[in-house]
Amino acid sequence: MITIRFVVNGALQVLSVAPETTLLGALRNQLGLTGAKSGCEVGDCGACTVIVDGRSVNACLMLAVQADGCTVLTIEGLATREKLHPLQRAFEELAALQCGFCGPGAILSAKALLDVNPDPSRQEVRDGLAGNLCRCTGYTKMIDAVLHAAQELRAAPTSAATHGER
Amino acid sequence: MKRRGRGLACMWYPIGFTVTANPSAATVKVNEDGTATLLTGTVETGQGALTVLGQIAAEALGVATDDVHVVSGDTDTMPMDTGAIASRTTYVTGNAVKLAAEKARDILFEVAAPLLGVRADQLEARDRKIQVRAFPQRQLSIGDVALQAQAVKGQPAIGSATWNPPTVPMDPETGQGKPFNTYVYATQIAEVDVDDETGEVDVLRVVAAHDCGTAINPMLVEGQVEGGISMGLGFALQEEILFDAAGRQVNPNLTNYIMPTSLDMPEIEVDIVANYDPTGPFGAKGVGEPTAVPTAAAILNAIHDAVGVRITALPATAEKILAAIKARRAAAGKTLTA
Amino acid sequence: MDSKPVVDGQRQAELQRAATPGVAAEHPLRIYREPLPAVFPAELRVPEVRLQTPAVGQRATRPDARLHGLGQTRYIDDMAFPGMLHARIKRAGVASARILRIDTREAEAMPGVMAVLTGRDIPVNSFGPSFQDQPVLADDRVFHAGDGVAAVAAVTEQLAADALEKIRVEYEPLPAVFDPLEALREDAHQVHAPANNVYARKVIRKGDVETALAASAHVFEQQYRTQMVEHVPIEPHAAIALWDANGRVTLYSSLGRITLGRADVARTLRLPVNRVRLVGTIVGGNFGGKNEITQEPVLALLSKKTGRPVKGVYTRNEEFTASTTRHPFIMDYKTGVDRDGRILARKVRLVLDGGAYCSWSETTLGKAAILSVGPYRIDHLLVEACVVYTNKTMTGAMRGFGAPQVCFAYESQMDEIAAALGIDPLEIRLRNVFVNGSSSPTGQVLDSVVVRESLLQAAERFGWKEGGA
Repeated sequence: MITIRFVVNGALQVLSVAPETTLLGALRNQLGLTGAKSGCEVGDCGACTVIVDGRSVNACLMLAVQADGCTVLTIEGLATREKLHPLQRAFEELAALQCGFCGPGAILSAKALLDVNPDPSRQEVRDGLAGNLCRCTGYTKMIDAVLHAAQELRAAPTSAATHGER
Repeated sequence: MKRRGRGLACMWYPIGFTVTANPSAATVKVNEDGTATLLTGTVETGQGALTVLGQIAAEALGVATDDVHVVSGDTDTMPMDTGAIASRTTYVTGNAVKLAAEKARDILFEVAAPLLGVRADQLEARDRKIQVRAFPQRQLSIGDVALQAQAVKGQPAIGSATWNPPTVPMDPETGQGKPFNTYVYATQIAEVDVDDETGEVDVLRVVAAHDCGTAINPMLVEGQVEGGISMGLGFALQEEILFDAAGRQVNPNLTNYIMPTSLDMPEIEVDIVANYDPTGPFGAKGVGEPTAVPTAAAILNAIHDAVGVRITALPATAEKILAAIKARRAAAGKTLTA
Repeated sequence: MDSKPVVDGQRQAELQRAATPGVAAEHPLRIYREPLPAVFPAELRVPEVRLQTPAVGQRATRPDARLHGLGQTRYIDDMAFPGMLHARIKRAGVASARILRIDTREAEAMPGVMAVLTGRDIPVNSFGPSFQDQPVLADDRVFHAGDGVAAVAAVTEQLAADALEKIRVEYEPLPAVFDPLEALREDAHQVHAPANNVYARKVIRKGDVETALAASAHVFEQQYRTQMVEHVPIEPHAAIALWDANGRVTLYSSLGRITLGRADVARTLRLPVNRVRLVGTIVGGNFGGKNEITQEPVLALLSKKTGRPVKGVYTRNEEFTASTTRHPFIMDYKTGVDRDGRILARKVRLVLDGGAYCSWSETTLGKAAILSVGPYRIDHLLVEACVVYTNKTMTGAMRGFGAPQVCFAYESQMDEIAAALGIDPLEIRLRNVFVNGSSSPTGQVLDSVVVRESLLQAAERFGWKEGGA
């Protein structure tokens, strides 16, 4: 077993993990953060997407030991105690989630996109969600929701920029 | 070079099981403050069924969507339901929910009638009130009536009901009969670009006009249509389970089985065709499955319009389209030289 | 993610310092060693649209969607019980064979393996919505490569997977048939002999199709084919079984139809229905693929054997190979029309590749046969449809029950007819579609028909008359 230290949703975690434990396994089974889902285990579906040091990654492909020293944001860390993240609100209000299984991953991919590109075009949003398979929605309302949230974040950048990175 | 084409396809689709009984049951409990709880044996599978069923109960009780809490998904405590299949939930379960809510509401009417000095059949439930039809100023809040019903009259407003669509068996020799109680209709039109040098297809735009009877929740109808189109697009162009000579799948994974991503989706415009089916809850029928039905046909007709080749075996992969384009050119060349 | 993220030295030092006892108090980061609680935002605002009356017609938001977006929805795989074991099922990997011997001794001896199950252990080893032709675990014969032949419950998923490798199954290869047209031939390998490969037929007949075809100005004939596709719910099939001391089994399952699932589980376990409880939470995508039981009886029996809760989650590979798929269709269409493009007669022959088991094939066959004529007024028609067994992945319910397949055929042919007669594709449909009062292929008088309106509305929105977008 290997001891790793990493910051998850603003809290430092010290875990003892097996060398083969994936980041997804550590988050779900050791930290109880089940928002990231296991859909294919090989990085095809994107349901396990989390943000590591500002980049969206497939947590099923990353070993937990590789996250040692990193800052990880999962879907559970996106809302604050006070309010939903604009992406979460937009996904809810524009009906961008149906069965919802791909939702946490899609929302975090969208966040990673908006963090580096606050004013994306529709095509850039499509590109940003390309790694997150969804079988229910046809992506249309998801794309709408990301553009809607981007607009809201641009209008009030300070309140939202720190979400999950308190 | 990219060639533009357009194609349309229409369809019909039934609601519910073929002849076979497929009942649903539901229970609606009006709480002592006028909010309500709906019990259903169906399970939410993503389409928004529970929200729609809640809206149906709310409408029957004259309250808002949020006033109804929907509970589902436990065979010990929920009434039976045939389940989320055959595009039946809004129509069949919806009818059971409406009937159950009306039974609960009728108890409220009985309790309110003497208080308002009218007969129960002169009352209506609207805007969270029980009021006299045509005299809405004579009213009581639904909360007051519900409290009276439970705490004073000892008649809590609870209704349970079942519903099953009527059908007539099909004759085994001729198939004649009435296998379904109702059907929905739709048209989709696709616009595509086909690259005549690679055979690749870009679906640019799909216009979809769907009948679902009354749209209980238009936003969720749109969601069904958009999702159905993505599934139809995969069926048309990309998806195929392949087998080796020994009958084993060769691409049982999402790396080699290609399904639509956000990059493959066209711009989608959804139109809901105005309709009202008197046999459905508040005129509603259903929309789940039919959204995936005409897409492939519309896309394939658009491909033909763009490059003049008709692919008769799905999926219409780039390789297949390119081979057909080449064959067509070769045939045209022969015709010219002949 | 292909490489280890680089952590700069300063950050590393900061994190290490934060983890040192006594430092945490002064450090802005809090140290948890317990599972993190999910955040429940205090923002409990109800969107205005949910508060409006009347409720019907509102674009009401979904309370479940808020939970999805917060990562708080508990799908089956997100649930765990103390002492829970993990199950995996060994798949045959051969399409047609007799099972001579299953040796589970080595697997059973592995530390951490708590139970192994084979088909012999299942009280009633068959299920299916129309015919009970599908075993829970194959015990004598394998009918397709995705058949389960044994199952393991172990303390971790990895151990369960490792144990599958230690189960030795000896097969005697048998003939197989994979092509549905071949399967129709009299000399074909009969998948479920003595039963014939054709396991259901449907005929719809109206008027006199041959005479009407002979009288038609033009006759169009074409064969269309469609492929096998998978539902691809992003959530794989998942279930957890646990028993209580009164002999009741509870199954938390991703099944979309819990009422009927309960009856099927009770039948396979030979239990009264009230001894089985099925609990569903939110199904993470269904599309018809989660409409019947799969591993539930296996998990229940493993749980009974071990006295512990047992969870099973399909791998993505099993989603493809061991769950149902969409039927491949072979469709022959022969259609006679008059000079104006009015359809006078239509003859349809459908052959459905039913795969190894019936599942929802009978329903698919019936719907496809009825719908195959299209939403058109046709007085003379004959539909002959059948579904055949092959030694391939079973086909079953999938969004549309055969309708996307036949729609592809009848709407492709409609365009072929329009092109040949020089009629606009919209116009030829308007000339033929059902209206209120039309008689369906089964002789049902239709009402609430708006196919014409849908055509006109879509065409208007698209700009069809103007020639494009």
